[in-house]
Amino acid sequence: MAKSNLFVNGSEGDKAIVLGNEAIARGALEAGIGYASMYPGTPASEIIAVLDKNKKYVENLYTEFSLNEHISLHGAIGASWSGIRSLCAMKNVGLNVASEPAQFLAYTGVKAGLVLAIGSDPGAPSSSNEQDDRWYSLHTYMPVMEPSNIQEAKDFTKDAFDVSEEFSFGIVLMAPSRLCHNAGALLFGNIRDRSNIKGNFKKDPENYLNLFSLAVKNHAKYLERNELLKKYLIESKFNKTVNDGSSKIGFISSGVIYAHLMETFDILGVYDHKILKLGFSFPISDELIKRFFEGLEKVVIVEEAEGFLEFQIKKIAYEIGFKGNIYGKEFFSRTGELTLDDVISGVSKFLEKPLPASFDFAVKKDRELSDKLPQRSGTFCIGCPHRSTFYSILKAVGFSNTEEKERDVVIAGDIGCYTLGLLPPYNAMDFLTCMNAGLSIGQAISNFDKSKKVIALVGDSTFYHSGIPVLLNAVQNGADILYIILDNSWTAMTGHQKTPTTQKDIDGKPLQNVLNLKDLIKSLGVSYVKSLDPNSVKRFSSQIKSALKEPGVKVLIAKRECILQEIRRNKSLLKNGANAAETGESLYEIQKSRCVKCNECFVELACPAIILKKDEDTGGDYYYIDPASCVKCGVCYEICPNSAIRKVEFDIKSEFKLDGKPLEITV
Amino acid sequence: MKKFNIAIVGLGGQGIITMGTVMKNAALNSDLQDVSGSERRGGAQREGYVETFVKYIFYENIEEMNNPRKNMHSPMIESGGANALISLEPLETLRGIKYLNKDSIVIFNKTPYIPISVRMGKTKYPEISFIVSELQKVTKHIYYYDIDAISLEKFNSLTQKNIIALGILFAKAEIPISRTAVESILAQGKGAENNLKAFELGLNL
Ligand code: SF4
Ligand code: SF4
Repeated sequence: MAKSNLFVNGSEGDKAIVLGNEAIARGALEAGIGYASMYPGTPASEIIAVLDKNKKYVENLYTEFSLNEHISLHGAIGASWSGIRSLCAMKNVGLNVASEPAQFLAYTGVKAGLVLAIGSDPGAPSSSNEQDDRWYSLHTYMPVMEPSNIQEAKDFTKDAFDVSEEFSFGIVLMAPSRLCHNAGALLFGNIRDRSNIKGNFKKDPENYLNLFSLAVKNHAKYLERNELLKKYLIESKFNKTVNDGSSKIGFISSGVIYAHLMETFDILGVYDHKILKLGFSFPISDELIKRFFEGLEKVVIVEEAEGFLEFQIKKIAYEIGFKGNIYGKEFFSRTGELTLDDVISGVSKFLEKPLPASFDFAVKKDRELSDKLPQRSGTFCIGCPHRSTFYSILKAVGFSNTEEKERDVVIAGDIGCYTLGLLPPYNAMDFLTCMNAGLSIGQAISNFDKSKKVIALVGDSTFYHSGIPVLLNAVQNGADILYIILDNSWTAMTGHQKTPTTQKDIDGKPLQNVLNLKDLIKSLGVSYVKSLDPNSVKRFSSQIKSALKEPGVKVLIAKRECILQEIRRNKSLLKNGANAAETGESLYEIQKSRCVKCNECFVELACPAIILKKDEDTGGDYYYIDPASCVKCGVCYEICPNSAIRKVEFDIKSEFKLDGKPLEITV
Repeated sequence: MKKFNIAIVGLGGQGIITMGTVMKNAALNSDLQDVSGSERRGGAQREGYVETFVKYIFYENIEEMNNPRKNMHSPMIESGGANALISLEPLETLRGIKYLNKDSIVIFNKTPYIPISVRMGKTKYPEISFIVSELQKVTKHIYYYDIDAISLEKFNSLTQKNIIALGILFAKAEIPISRTAVESILAQGKGAENNLKAFELGLNL
């Protein structure tokens, strides 16, 4: 957001470019929330981050980065029952963890409005699956709203709180990464008066107590409320019909896919079909569908994933005896992100309308080229301690990035920045599913395949999310496993939220209540615990080797702060006058004459600051440390087997020293 | 209704998202106008493919702006739908080729960043001449510079290369928003002084 104060102070008539996530947060602010929480997860993180950042300017706003989604949604429920409008956000897979509170929310209902904003991730660019959380509502009965653009993201969120209170449901606001990370124009509304946001929990045993017949009664109550909501949705402003043509074909869509669909019609020059835009994709009112079906012979449902709308609408069509045909997944893929291109192709195929020539040409050109282009995948940042950890693990188990041999050690992956270790060049994970699956699945494997050692990885934030019971379970059941906790002090992947082991704030301020991770692990009954700096790769690697020889549960903590945070802090300290440069600086360089291109630094470690350069004299290539990107972590210097990398130190008097000795400059 | 679509592609850490944000903010003044466009980050990490779309929509009149068949726009650009493509990495220009049509303007930075697969010796990085000849099969309007080198030379840093590229865009293509609007956005942001210089530099390349 350009002017961050507009987020707080903007009022009706103001306009700004905002992210979809910021629009959702603003909608909640306009609705008068007093509580906002999440466990960070892409693509939803900015929803709570922007509120958290601005809370000092907002009266009576509580924000929380909870340790997991289960806690976070329960927190929102507690706030709602205390009469505080509450917003909880999470990524798609977060609802698996929060499904328990979600399930009970229908039984108990809400007091003040509660909105659960979910960032879904079709195509899984930032996730380990592409689950469509709308299906949960078939049993949680949480109504689902799907905004189509930035403006609706704000407006729907604001309105969702009213609907939540009127029907006593927590409302799911569903936004795919395409909307969360869409930046576009938003017209602001007014913010509700915030001065009287005050909690007052009133006992309500009829709704809040669920046991035996009480639970059965509440079950019946929410089914009833669901019917009332369906009635309300027949003519609400959220579901819209466009009906100005004479065609006997109708299209139904929702969310961002509706935006793709409308642009598709414009691109194909088609303007006469009947269209139903569902603002609520659950529940769907039978009467609404019945009215839309009038006069239609064919209906096409345009949606992403496995066909949640199609599933519901076909059932309604059967019940009301619709005689026409309903199409959907025959034309639109069940997997991957449904892009604008996919909608154009699907609609053109269904309507038998030719594709625009430029579109057709471009698609063919792309298809012809894409297989020929080298793939590109993300990697760790330059100087990232995770790179050192993976390098050390591979060395310890006698494996190299370039060797194509079977590894007899099982490496269990988990969720976080370090997940990138499963990609080339490291290929250092044998499985990856959900949070804390690494140690859970790993301990069973170690039980049943005694011929292989098992190493399970976990990040600090993921460990605190739900790893503690898993570790305790491993200890209590006598597992034989090496558990490496990559503690970089931050939930780095989602924008650097604090974890219980964050020691210093970004401006250098020491934090309160810092957890002693080693003590915690010892108290769980692990006697083999060591904390090491992963950047000392040789030491770390031999430590891994010896740990693997020990029986039982061994824990190594790879402790080094995320390099990005370290750099940011140094910058801000420098700005604030602290003289960080006083201690002297160093520079690493590869001596062309000594480098034999053994690839230890270029491929095995694969630090992106080490690049290939053309030698103007010989025409060949040589390895070179790009001084503009090297962050001087020194790991390449430690590992070069040929002492070809040298460290040049200089202090403020710009006296150069080579490997500690003064440098002789030959001209 | 008129539309103008800009696709911006490159790698994480090159300032791609910022370019999109600047271009969108610069278009916020007119009422009969809509701005949209999503970004795709291949993970927050370094070296992953990143793209962002900037879409300007100009309505003829209020009726059109209120017409539900006209006023809802996808956050994406369709194949062949970009009026301009800016790429900060040569190989990624070829991945962005799908957005081009015969009238598209292409501006790309010719400093390569070697992907891991090339580093491991599994594939080869395409020659710049191959990239240009492939682009030429689609459009004639291709401009490329060593923007990394230009940024390093003038600013002793790579941070300005994205804004230099925006300047080049304005020099080479008819953009339906004004330069001064871009300049006033740059003037409000971080590193205003250098960014304004970088924009100016790009305009004159
Ligand atoms: S590790 Fe040393 S010898 Fe090997 S490629 Fe790197 S600089 Fe050259
Ligand atoms: S010192 Fe070596 S490993 Fe560290 S950032 Fe620089 S080039 Fe990369």
